[in-house]
Amino acid sequence: MKKTYQLIKARRSKITASRKSFQGFLWILPSFLGVMAFYLLPYADVVRRSFFGAVDNQCKGLENYRTVLENTAFLLAVKNTLRFTLCCIPALILTALLCAVIIYRSKYGGVIKSAFLIPMALPAVSVALMWRLLFHSQGMVNHWLSRFSASGTDWMNDESAFWILVGSYLWKNLGYDIVLWMAGLSGISENIYEAARVDGAGEWQCFFKITLPNLRSSFYTITVLSFLNSFKVFREAYLVAGDYPHESIYMMQHLFNNWFRSFSFDKMAAAAVLESLVLLLLILLFQRALERRNDGKEC
Amino acid sequence: MNHKRIKQITAILLLAFLICATLAGCGKEGQEGTSGAAGQNTNGTKTEAINTENGGKESAMGRFLEEEIDTGIVFGTIYDMKKLEDGTLRIIGSNGDDGSKGAWDSKDQGASWEKAYDFPTELQDSDQGYSDRAALSSDGQAVCAYNQIQKGGGILAVLYLLDQNGKASRIPFELPSVNTEGAMSNSFEVTAEDLPDEEPENQAEEDSQEMGASISNLIMDIQFLGNDQVLAKDISDNVYQISTADGSLRQTYQFDGSMESHQVYAAGKKILVFSNKEVLLFDSETGQQISTEETLQKGAAESGFFQAVDTINQGESVYGVARGGLYHYKFGGSVMEQLIDGSMNSMGAPSFYPIVMAMLDEQNFLVAANDENSDSPTGIALLKYTYSADTPAKPDKELKVYSLYDNREMRQSITRFQKDHTDVYVNYQAAMSEENAVNVSDALKTLTTEIMAGKGPDLLILDGMPVETYIEKGILKDLSSMISKEGGYFENILHAYQNQQGQICAAPARFMLPMAQGGSADYKPGEAFDSFTSRKGVLAGMEPKYVIEKFWYTCGAAWQKEDKTLDVAKITEFLTSLKNAYGEYDANANQQGMSVSFTSDGNTGNTEEIKKILFSYGDFDLAFGRTKVNIGLFAKMDYGMLSAVNNKLKDGSYGLMPGQAENVFVPSMILGISSKSNQPETAEQFLRYLFSHESQKISQSGGLPVEKEAFRSVIDGHQYQGKENLVCVGGSGDDIDEILDYAMVSTPEEEIKKLTDLAESVDTPALRDDVIKDAVSEQGEKVLKGEITPEEAADAIMQKVNIYLAE
Repeated sequence: MKKTYQLIKARRSKITASRKSFQGFLWILPSFLGVMAFYLLPYADVVRRSFFGAVDNQCKGLENYRTVLENTAFLLAVKNTLRFTLCCIPALILTALLCAVIIYRSKYGGVIKSAFLIPMALPAVSVALMWRLLFHSQGMVNHWLSRFSASGTDWMNDESAFWILVGSYLWKNLGYDIVLWMAGLSGISENIYEAARVDGAGEWQCFFKITLPNLRSSFYTITVLSFLNSFKVFREAYLVAGDYPHESIYMMQHLFNNWFRSFSFDKMAAAAVLESLVLLLLILLFQRALERRNDGKEC
Repeated sequence: MNHKRIKQITAILLLAFLICATLAGCGKEGQEGTSGAAGQNTNGTKTEAINTENGGKESAMGRFLEEEIDTGIVFGTIYDMKKLEDGTLRIIGSNGDDGSKGAWDSKDQGASWEKAYDFPTELQDSDQGYSDRAALSSDGQAVCAYNQIQKGGGILAVLYLLDQNGKASRIPFELPSVNTEGAMSNSFEVTAEDLPDEEPENQAEEDSQEMGASISNLIMDIQFLGNDQVLAKDISDNVYQISTADGSLRQTYQFDGSMESHQVYAAGKKILVFSNKEVLLFDSETGQQISTEETLQKGAAESGFFQAVDTINQGESVYGVARGGLYHYKFGGSVMEQLIDGSMNSMGAPSFYPIVMAMLDEQNFLVAANDENSDSPTGIALLKYTYSADTPAKPDKELKVYSLYDNREMRQSITRFQKDHTDVYVNYQAAMSEENAVNVSDALKTLTTEIMAGKGPDLLILDGMPVETYIEKGILKDLSSMISKEGGYFENILHAYQNQQGQICAAPARFMLPMAQGGSADYKPGEAFDSFTSRKGVLAGMEPKYVIEKFWYTCGAAWQKEDKTLDVAKITEFLTSLKNAYGEYDANANQQGMSVSFTSDGNTGNTEEIKKILFSYGDFDLAFGRTKVNIGLFAKMDYGMLSAVNNKLKDGSYGLMPGQAENVFVPSMILGISSKSNQPETAEQFLRYLFSHESQKISQSGGLPVEKEAFRSVIDGHQYQGKENLVCVGGSGDDIDEILDYAMVSTPEEEIKKLTDLAESVDTPALRDDVIKDAVSEQGEKVLKGEITPEEAADAIMQKVNIYLAE
């Protein structure tokens, strides 16, 4: 009798669990349909197109991938995008963290935080216009330099263009990352710091032993978001230097943009698939590494 | 538990509602598409709804059709045209054959015409004066503005009234004098008789000064107000309301000068003054201004400047012709109605300038217009518009034509094509205009999206587009079967884009020749680029940017290696040579501004930038020594100016522009049919038309025709035959002393042959790749200004272009 009761109970709980999961699926269904319609299906089409001709739709096998991997413009764009990412992401994350810690402790933190967010509110066109005014060969920077008898340069048409782009990215995204770091900082209980201080820990020890380990989950989010935001810097680069900027700031988006204009959908599709695979792989590896660290700590 | 169930049901209902609402929204367009209804225009022309053959889609019926009337008379000028009270249609003007002035009548609504009377001899004696304006009243009287040459010199404006039979009597009205300073145009045509043979240049100046000093006032426009009064506008835009019986001045209408180029029309007892900005209304009985109805004001602003106006119901409503078509407005009404869409007939053509219109009834009217591309030798065309209830309001077939820049030849061809193909509506879209801020890159991306979505154009003008990429990607159809293989074309130009398989996916309908002109010390026709550019400073005084652009056409074609990459050594040589020929850049001299050529090149459809690389842009600068040579793209023949500049230089000559590549031509109006066209047969039909003689002979300065007969007709100056006494006097606009006058004569046979031989000799299409051109132009300008060295510029060009070529 008791066994029968347990069986019935187990079956009921199973039914309840399956009902709950079905209800959960229903709730996410509209959102899932949207993702399906606007992301997954188009992506599937891109994957399909990567094996076909641009306009004639004839199957070309892996020909498009071979063409793309041999394309010097693609290789240049990949190199520049990687270089830009490797320069910007660490610089942004560390600077934002530093600023966040300082602002978090400041009594004027709210005001300063808002000031850092202003660049995000500025339209890309205004920023591009400002760039032009500043960095044109006859722009304001060269004008100021000439006052100090220093010779100017055509900033957007030599290697400096890359560093201007890096600076612009940092300037624009710093506020956003500061806000994210500050959200992470506010999640750390003050009691932990007090307990550590009672045990004689100094400021640096508190930072390295308490603050940093507790910001690990924020670190993942901030890194991924910063990485994705790094692709948006194309807008400013395009508005300032057009389709064909100096080769140091020729990014993947320039290439895609130009390929789209010339009906090179085959090459675009192959390059997009390659890029998405690399991005997915990087994000998964990063996530895995963080999870492993977390697991190791818990053990 | 009960609560939970209610929640679940609510959620399901909300989800169902959301899905239903979404689906309903998707279906709305289809419902609207089938809900077309019959209607009626306010001017009484009915529109009906019928089922067409294509799946029962309804379309409105009824449209005005255009027909050019062969009057049998070559009108030199038409001053006015009116439907008289007895139903006769009368024209007052001049005969283009003999220059005689008179009136012609038609009893059959314009089909045939016969002379009503000649002007009295005293009004036709050119020694005594000349009449250049006249107007008709509905009872058949005419008023003529006669400019009487005074004995001591000078001109007196006099009004003559001609009765129904042409008997003239002077109206005793004296036109008040006004200050003529600044009112004279800086260019005008005079007859050769006015200029003695000796020293025509200096004499012309004296005459013009004398005329300016002795003309106290002139009548610039004249209209009847009823049958017993006239409205005369003077050179200061004052309008005088004069009684024809005794010449008494009834009213004077003065404007504060804020309005520009206004036209005065009478509608019943109202006087309408149309400007480019607004419409003013006056009561002719009181002389007071009446407030203009908002609908009229708004409608006129949207329709554009009215060029001809008429009324059929004692001024209760007006009909007006503007660039957008025919408009009708009933005073007190709530709408200004567009009866004709100008884009579907000649009204929207760039060369069409209406002179006068005459409404026969609500469904028929005539327009006399000046159209340099009409079949009439004098360019005066008489067009009849008839309402056809059986013709669809909008043609069934829509052919989409696309170009980056506006193309006037295309607009002109469209109006002619549509006239003969009433079932086709050609929807022409020029992506880049002065109104929008679209750049080439954005326009091409939008075009790509549209083509791939199956909503793209059927026919493309490929100027400024990556033609070879489009051919390579299969965007363009093979045209080889559509282009006539029989002679009659410059095959060397027509086959510019023929590939190795013999396919022609793009073909230039026109072309331009890079030309140079100069004195023997600075330019020798046929000389090499190295020899020409070895003369230091031969290109001095020109704008650096345009020097580079002009030579880009004759040199760019030599830079491409077999693997499609560019030869950096040749680019460096190009920049070094041009820098030597240009010499030192003088910013102050260049800022003084080069003159704008008097001879209009029309608008090639592109911007002012493109005008500046045309050959005719620099003729005055060469003639008056601001530059040593004139270089540019030759798109229209003006033999008079060409020879005048040569004469001024004493030993001037012209020929092909030197360049690193030889025998270069610039393909223009490059046509292609989209392989994804929805109307391939119609596109093919239209393309054949564009290569026909009728379309090719249209000349709007967008290039020379590839059809040989049409080529000859646009360069031979046939329009000047029999007008050898006409002299064109032009000024640069910058300096009043810079006046060049020349006889307007036909092009001599040897010059026609010379140009034809040049056109037949060119066989290298200029590289038309805007990305490379922009890179070269940007860096080249810096070299000529001395900001960077040719080597640095070549490196910068290669850096940009290499990425582009690698893509």
